[in-house]
Amino acid sequence: MITLAKISIIRGETKVLQDFSATIAQHQATLLSGPNGSGKTSLIQAIAGTLPIATGEISIDGVDPYHSKAMELAKLRSVAPQRRTFSLAFSVAEVIEFIPARERANHWESTLELLGLKKLLTKKVTELSIGQQQRVSLGLALIQDSKFYLLDEPFSAQDSEYQIRILQLIDELKKERGVLVVSHNTDSLHSHFDQELHIS
Amino acid sequence: MKRTATYIGLITVLAVLFILSLQIGILHLDTSVFSLIGKHGSVAATTVWDVRFPRALGAVVIGGALGIAGALAQGIFRNPLAEPTLIGLSSGATFGTIVGIATGLAGYGSGVNCLAATLGTAMAAVITLFLAPNKNFGFLLTGIAFSSILTSVSGLIISISQRPGIQSLSFWNFGSLSLINFATVRVITPFILVGVVLALSLARGLNIWSLGENTAFYLGMNIRRFRFVAIIAIALLIGPAVSAVGSIAFLGLLVPHVVRLIVGPNHKHLIGYSALLGAIVLLIADLLARAAFAPHEVPLGLLTSLLGAPILIILLRARRAQWVSEQ
Repeated sequence: MITLAKISIIRGETKVLQDFSATIAQHQATLLSGPNGSGKTSLIQAIAGTLPIATGEISIDGVDPYHSKAMELAKLRSVAPQRRTFSLAFSVAEVIEFIPARERANHWESTLELLGLKKLLTKKVTELSIGQQQRVSLGLALIQDSKFYLLDEPFSAQDSEYQIRILQLIDELKKERGVLVVSHNTDSLHSHFDQELHIS
Repeated sequence: MKRTATYIGLITVLAVLFILSLQIGILHLDTSVFSLIGKHGSVAATTVWDVRFPRALGAVVIGGALGIAGALAQGIFRNPLAEPTLIGLSSGATFGTIVGIATGLAGYGSGVNCLAATLGTAMAAVITLFLAPNKNFGFLLTGIAFSSILTSVSGLIISISQRPGIQSLSFWNFGSLSLINFATVRVITPFILVGVVLALSLARGLNIWSLGENTAFYLGMNIRRFRFVAIIAIALLIGPAVSAVGSIAFLGLLVPHVVRLIVGPNHKHLIGYSALLGAIVLLIADLLARAAFAPHEVPLGLLTSLLGAPILIILLRARRAQWVSEQ
């Protein structure tokens, strides 16, 4: 379980989040929404362990993410950031190889299939469209063998077909793990989520 | 297939150049170098085995080291223009070497000197990283600025030092293989080999690292350890090379770019091929340095710049998409 207890996050000199509390359970899909600049991404980064919190406590199964080792965290949470920069012309297959087959989650092949990555394997990531790049990034996060998946705006560059496929993936993932999805646009998403959190 | 063919091709070219390096030089050989195998005593045999052979060997070791160092620097700093000479790493090595010689602690070509150069490189890397405001032009400009400071201080030390063997500023700035002998090759090779092993151990990490520090952390990489090992590796490759032959510009910039065009960006291949191509380029440059203006020998760093810079400009224009810069 991920527990957020009265956390506040300060970025530079602005308080982006104040006294926010929530629990995100396994076997559930949680939707986190809020307007632009409300601190959704900061919250994901704080849970992911890359951003310190000013006050309060975060724990993932009892572990404080900001003060934990990268290896330990990788088993607890996996992150698909809003944007990933592919600066080198790797093939999609090479990017997938960043996570060796023996370390991947057992659902890795079906995930790549659903995300439409199997037919892109020989393509260079730098030559893909933004939507395709986003799916590669998502694929990289979802084949990681973690207890929780934190997905920041996974639908933003997808057409309706892939939005549906990603929702299907989330339905599958939550059978064994926990999923937290950040989205500013929640229309048509409600029925797929067990819990909704809103920050303003 | 393509990779294997390239590999075999590069090794063949390297072997041919190595033999040419033994054959060609200021002293004209009447016979083929093969007829001198196993012979000693004559002027020709001494020239080939005691002068040209260690020099060619040195070129292979140092060229290989600089090729890998370039690939590492571009990878670690995630900057296509991060070149050891440009961002001050070579100046750090020069500084370490010269301080060693000037203080009398470490003569030219000694193991301690090699170590001083290695530490100088590591120091330059850490300070540039620490001072740089960002990863792109800020980083490059900081490296360039810090590099000039180190070069100037080194120049000052050379000017006021009376120590024999400190060499002129142009030796360190433009690089030359003219002083290399078996003893130097023996001293620098173990350092460089450790650097090569460390570099190879970083290959997978460098691939992931290209997606940014956060992604590397998300995937479970120990960022601090990775960066530490990477800086040690780069220092072990550049320090010893510079301490023996001065700084040789453009090789570290050019080689990895060319290799990427041929075999792609995967560091698992990039590192090995960069070593091979680095050795080839340095052998060619040294051959030219010795033969092109005979009987004068020109500093080979001048040639690597003269050959390397235009080729790089052409390559960058032709295949800009190969490295889309961050942000």
